[in-house]
Amino acid sequence: MKTRKGWSLTAILLMTVLVLSACGSKATDNGGTNGAQASNELEQIKSAGVIKVGMMGTYAPYNFLNDKKEMDGYDADIAREVAKRLGVKVEFVSQEFSGLTPSLQAKKLDAIISQMTITDDRKKVLDFSDPYITNQVKIIVKEDNNDITKLEDFKGKTIGVGLGTNDETYLRNEVLPKVGDFTIKTYDDVISSLKDLNAGRIDATINNMYALKPIVDANGFNIKAVGEPIKSDQAGIAVRKDNPELVAALNDALKGMKDDGTYNTIFKKWFGEEPAQ
Amino acid sequence: MELVFENIPFFLKGAYYTLYVTVISMFFAFIIGLLVAIARLKGPIWLRLIARFYVSIMRGTPLLVQLFVIYYGLVDYGVTLGSLTAACLGLSLNAGAFLSETFRGAIQAVPKGQMEAAYATGMTPAQAMRRIIFPQAVRIAIPPMGNTFIGMLKETSLVAALGVTELLRSAQLLVAQYYVNMPFYLAIGVIYWIMSIGFSAILEQVERRLARAY
Repeated sequence: MKTRKGWSLTAILLMTVLVLSACGSKATDNGGTNGAQASNELEQIKSAGVIKVGMMGTYAPYNFLNDKKEMDGYDADIAREVAKRLGVKVEFVSQEFSGLTPSLQAKKLDAIISQMTITDDRKKVLDFSDPYITNQVKIIVKEDNNDITKLEDFKGKTIGVGLGTNDETYLRNEVLPKVGDFTIKTYDDVISSLKDLNAGRIDATINNMYALKPIVDANGFNIKAVGEPIKSDQAGIAVRKDNPELVAALNDALKGMKDDGTYNTIFKKWFGEEPAQ
Repeated sequence: MELVFENIPFFLKGAYYTLYVTVISMFFAFIIGLLVAIARLKGPIWLRLIARFYVSIMRGTPLLVQLFVIYYGLVDYGVTLGSLTAACLGLSLNAGAFLSETFRGAIQAVPKGQMEAAYATGMTPAQAMRRIIFPQAVRIAIPPMGNTFIGMLKETSLVAALGVTELLRSAQLLVAQYYVNMPFYLAIGVIYWIMSIGFSAILEQVERRLARAY
């Protein structure tokens, strides 16, 4: 008898604790999957009072975690300003770039503001706002590397790029057929690709200049950008397809920011220069 | 190292989610494991086949794939789960399959004579299971169960891919903030380690408690 009692006591105790914690989970989780049947998504966001914005969170100065452990950066400021103009709060979800689009389509997010370049391929599955930034993309190599100065030099080399990014598509579909064989190594964030470049595990990467500065400053990485910009990209706010009301509202917000100078202030705050016209 | 200490509150938040997912999944995995083990041992033939099929799939495919199926895949069929719910569901189903094998082995390890003796005293099969077989099987099952649970604790790091800011994702975010790798990855390694020591200690206690009968 003694055994059985001891055993069941332990078991009951364990179960109670576990069930209690499980109950807690259900209560918090349900908030995430709110009804998807309301008239249009702009209305839904407004009635929820919050817009869920996905971003990488590892891409300074665009989006990163600041000292106070809040999402900060150019993208975050744009997101906050847009949300303010929609009259809602903003909730950031940090995820690897390659997971952002699936999450948006799975309705876990309302918008992606994470330097998502507007491309025709993406337009097939997403809707975009007007562009809110233009980035020039350059080739980046180690300081002592003088072999690579242009795309043609990639042949036979290993080139790093962010997984699921527009740069990856560009390398695969445009550069690879033109230049000939080279290896593409994909990364989940920009920093690990630059670290690998600095460590000599890849020969080059492509990225835009604004993204590099803080990383190089903080690390003293021996890397440099070479040659002319290979392309220039425009990033927009991505939302789910067939969502004209939301896109229109986002465009209005962006236009308002540009008109009253808020946009310029944000741009200067992060990049130290006036936005290119 | 200073960076790590400064960021301990942030790590704790990540650790909280890791622990949260682990504990809830453990609870459900335990129930699933038990039910599946009994189904495979005592169920009618069709139930046995279903249970076998389930165990085979869960053991034969990567957990990350299972998580993606649940989180991203089910949406196409109108089932939209939050990232925490999806994480707990995936881990429970996965660990449940492994636990069911543990339980099945443990139940089978109880000598046949015990069952026969129970029948001889006039117990029904259900009574014999509950009163004679289970108490003995549980003791046998604890060490391998501990393996599964601790394995699960570490596999929660996969949940980062579903957008849960658990320990691994916290470290990634901090790496992106400070541009250093080693201290943060070491720190979460230590936190995982401490948590698994905690679980081992609890299981050891349970084991000791159960062994008192002998």
